[in-house]
Amino acid sequence: MIRNYFKIAWRNIRSNKLFTALNIAGLAIGLCVCMILFSFVNTELGFDKMYSNSEDIYRVNMETSEEYNFETWATMPNAVGPAIAQDIPQVKLMTRLIKDDFGATASLKIGDKNFTENRLYLADSAIFKMFDFKFLEGNSNDAFSKPKSIVLSQSAKIRLFGNQDAMGQLIIVNNINTLQVSGIYADLPKNSVMDIDMVYNIMDTWMGTNVYWSNASYETYLQLEPNSNVSNLQNQATGLIDKYVDKDNQYFTKFIFQPLTEIHLHSAHVREAYSSKMGSITAIKSLLFLSLLVLLIACINYMNLATANAQKRAKGIGINKVLGANRRQMLSLFYVETGIMVFLSIAIGYAVSFLTLPLFKSITGNELSYQDLLDTPILIGLLIIWILVTLVAGSYPAISMSNISPLILVNKSKKKGSASELIRKGLVVFQFAASIVLIIAVTIILQQMAFIKNRNLGYDPNGIVAVSVKSAETEQQVESLIKGLERLVNVESVSAVQSMPGANESGRSVYKMATDGTGLPIASCRTDGNIVNTLKLKVIAGNELPETIPEGDSIIYSLINEKILNYLDYKTPEDAIGKIIHTELGSMAIITGVVENFNFNSLKESVGGYMYYKSRKAPEGIRTLLVRYNTQDLSKFMSQLQQTFNEALPNTAFDYQFLDRHVAQLYASEEKTASTATLFSVLAIFIACLGLFGLAAFTAEQRTKEIGVRKVLGATVTGITRLLSKDFLKLVLVAFVIAAPVAYLIMRNWLLDFAYRTEISWWVFAFAGIAALCIALITVSFQAIKAAMANPVKSLRTE
Amino acid sequence: MLLELNNIFKWVNQGGKRIFLLSDINLKIDEGEFISIMGPSGSGKSTLLNVIGMLDGFQEGEYNFMGESVHTMKEKNRSKLYKEYIGFVFQAYHLIDELTVYENIETPLLYKDINSSERKALVADMLDRFNIVGKKDLFPSQLSGGQQQLVGVARALITKPKLILADEPTGNLNSKQSEEIMQLFKELNQEGVTIIQATHSETNAAYGSRVLHLLDGRRDFN
Ligand SMILES: Nc1ncnc2c1ncn2[C@@H]1O[C@H](COP(=O)(O)OP(=O)(O)OP(=O)(O)O)[C@@H](O)[C@H]1O
Ligand SMILES: [Mg+2]
Repeated sequence: MIRNYFKIAWRNIRSNKLFTALNIAGLAIGLCVCMILFSFVNTELGFDKMYSNSEDIYRVNMETSEEYNFETWATMPNAVGPAIAQDIPQVKLMTRLIKDDFGATASLKIGDKNFTENRLYLADSAIFKMFDFKFLEGNSNDAFSKPKSIVLSQSAKIRLFGNQDAMGQLIIVNNINTLQVSGIYADLPKNSVMDIDMVYNIMDTWMGTNVYWSNASYETYLQLEPNSNVSNLQNQATGLIDKYVDKDNQYFTKFIFQPLTEIHLHSAHVREAYSSKMGSITAIKSLLFLSLLVLLIACINYMNLATANAQKRAKGIGINKVLGANRRQMLSLFYVETGIMVFLSIAIGYAVSFLTLPLFKSITGNELSYQDLLDTPILIGLLIIWILVTLVAGSYPAISMSNISPLILVNKSKKKGSASELIRKGLVVFQFAASIVLIIAVTIILQQMAFIKNRNLGYDPNGIVAVSVKSAETEQQVESLIKGLERLVNVESVSAVQSMPGANESGRSVYKMATDGTGLPIASCRTDGNIVNTLKLKVIAGNELPETIPEGDSIIYSLINEKILNYLDYKTPEDAIGKIIHTELGSMAIITGVVENFNFNSLKESVGGYMYYKSRKAPEGIRTLLVRYNTQDLSKFMSQLQQTFNEALPNTAFDYQFLDRHVAQLYASEEKTASTATLFSVLAIFIACLGLFGLAAFTAEQRTKEIGVRKVLGATVTGITRLLSKDFLKLVLVAFVIAAPVAYLIMRNWLLDFAYRTEISWWVFAFAGIAALCIALITVSFQAIKAAMANPVKSLRTE
Repeated sequence: MLLELNNIFKWVNQGGKRIFLLSDINLKIDEGEFISIMGPSGSGKSTLLNVIGMLDGFQEGEYNFMGESVHTMKEKNRSKLYKEYIGFVFQAYHLIDELTVYENIETPLLYKDINSSERKALVADMLDRFNIVGKKDLFPSQLSGGQQQLVGVARALITKPKLILADEPTGNLNSKQSEEIMQLFKELNQEGVTIIQATHSETNAAYGSRVLHLLDGRRDFN
């Protein structure tokens, strides 16, 4: 019996080539997308599950006080870890983790070669056991037994030393810290938040030994005894705050143990973490939703085309029923047919997913390897998808067609076309509504991206390169570099700063009164050059910072932005000039000038308080030179720049970043959203059009005779084309009416994430509606024109 | 007695009015009869055949088939019953286009769960008997109308039904082809198969043992 089903199903599939091709194409595209996305989701969900004690490892996060808006931070004082490890016996292992120099790019010197390094960490030795480090050379027990040791990942070792032996070699970090290689470990798993390239012993530095409860810069990881009562231990840890910290200095109020396996996807609210491998559960969810939507649209194609085909098939079903087939057997026949079709589509979609993987990577920016597509859960997933899609796509055609009565053979009654017609129309409307929502969404996303890019930030990030000088050996080196740079023709201005905007400023607070407990958290940045010129800031009161400060002058000259000014309740900007500003910088800080607000952070946040200061006795160092240039030939300029740099700082790696790219980087995830949404909407529309194309073909075929008669009676080609296209276009219009408000609500919500956002204008909707209409029109009229042009005599004769 | 219809009424509602398709049909048919139903177009011949064949229902009256009362039966049992005892032959042949001659004849056996070796034997016999062994791998579209109807009859016979219902079996055939089919029906009838056919042709009706006249859904005894 089942063999017979296969035979009949297979012949049906083959006998109707257009139907089969459209269905397989639609389903294969949908499935290809799903497959790629599922493997992406699969790797994302698998993050950090591979360690032998994954279940028992937690990161300590802390909840801050009102002063810091109750934010949750992943970094905390270096005293937290040791205190928890000491006072809570259920803590088996503890390690602190901090990036060298608080996350700034490190300059490594090996022999006479310089390298830059972004993933150099300091940690306690427990990290090796906790995260299953596999040592290829050296071992986890001895790695940190000698002072000033450093261990490298295998790929870092190859990058720094090539094929040469690395053990025992010296690495000079930032020209101040000489470390000796004491071990090489196999690269940590790709899907782990631990992105440690190389690590040295935190206990070799003041960071490990000099514990205090103030500066929060350290991540802290704990491995608990198996089956510990986590919330209980969490409360115990929180209890330590009162034990060790004065009430007045408690700027954090609670410790939260976040399971290791949740860090990657569930840390959107956690700030200040070091790992570069941060995912987002909302991104995963929306990707999953989008791919299911595309798949659903493909399934609908199948349902629509299959039921449109029903009239052709009805006779066969009637006969089979008269010959003794029951409903169940007819159901099976249709499911077998759908099953074969879906199987073919999966096979094709799966094969294509391997080919399109690089494309997917480049469009969405998501890392994925061929290996990920072969993972067991994916293969099991394929099976589940096969069954699921067969059931979903096959359901409606199977049920509606297996109900066809054998009476269809003897008279023309019981043609209850209206219900299935209505459902078919409903499904087309759904497809197009979904497509239109996607078009509108994509347009608004792109509009918002353009809005952000073109928005006046309050400073001009274009044409500035930030050169790191934090690893200079002496101040003279930096000075001679500045002099060298100022001699270059294409350099307009150079400012020495602690940080480029929004990177490594110091967090301070501004107080209204010196005695206030809480103030306004601000970013403060030391500068030495003419920052107003370099960044093109706008001074609204007072002066720029003085060019030079005479010997013996201990005043801290500061430039504040309007945000700080407003907080300080001065009536006019001018009132503030010359006044003392109360910060942790002491009582010598005075306000020299006020600048217009500028967006040093992402436009998702509203402007915060910002203060540039200049002083002979600055607590922070100069780490970056902001170079404003003006050139047509950037690559030539950059090589000049590098040459100048190497002359002034011969032992330091040339590390630079373009400021505009840094700013663009702030919106990387939105860019990703934009390109992903574009991809999905194109696919959704394409698949919906495949379906529409098929439906139009069927309608034209069904009405061949009518068209023939009409033509004989004198109808024109245009008239007939209009006749055939009209109904479909009505559906698109209905879809638009449904889609527009839905899209509006979704996108208004999305825009709320941005402090600065574009207006949703009516033309976006007009554009989406017209686009959908045009696409549908082209698809449908192709068939309509073909039908209208056909020779009427022929079509009438065949009937 | 093979089947019995008592006071059968069948109607449809159209614009709030009852339109009777069959009214007060009484009929007894014994095993081995060959009955022709005649009447003008629209008189209800096909409707009556469908009721007898259990493909269609009716609103009032009783229908007993081989001692079982069809009118009280559930849909499922009813289809079991006709699957077992009734074969259908259609004016438009209604072969399955996607299947070969062989497979068309075989299909009813599949729905009766007959095993494959037995199926082979039965189909081979049937092909033999109708002299269409050479055509067994052709598709319906490759046959003439007469040949297609031959296959249709073969398919109806393959399950050894007690009753064959034929709705204008020769309506699409020329006179020579018609004669062949009618001759075949006669032979089958002689072998004991009960046959009921609807027809417009006096000649065809003459093959039967009894003629039943319909007019506007009623039996016409004039
Ligand atoms: N479902 C229905 N709804 C309304 N009218 C119907 C329905 N089924 C049949 N009829 C009507 O019942 C009457 C009898 O139809 P039937 O097909 O039985 O006639 P017939 O005797 O077989 O005619 P012909 O010789 O043309 O085949 C016709 O007038 C037909 O229009
Ligand atoms: Mg009829």
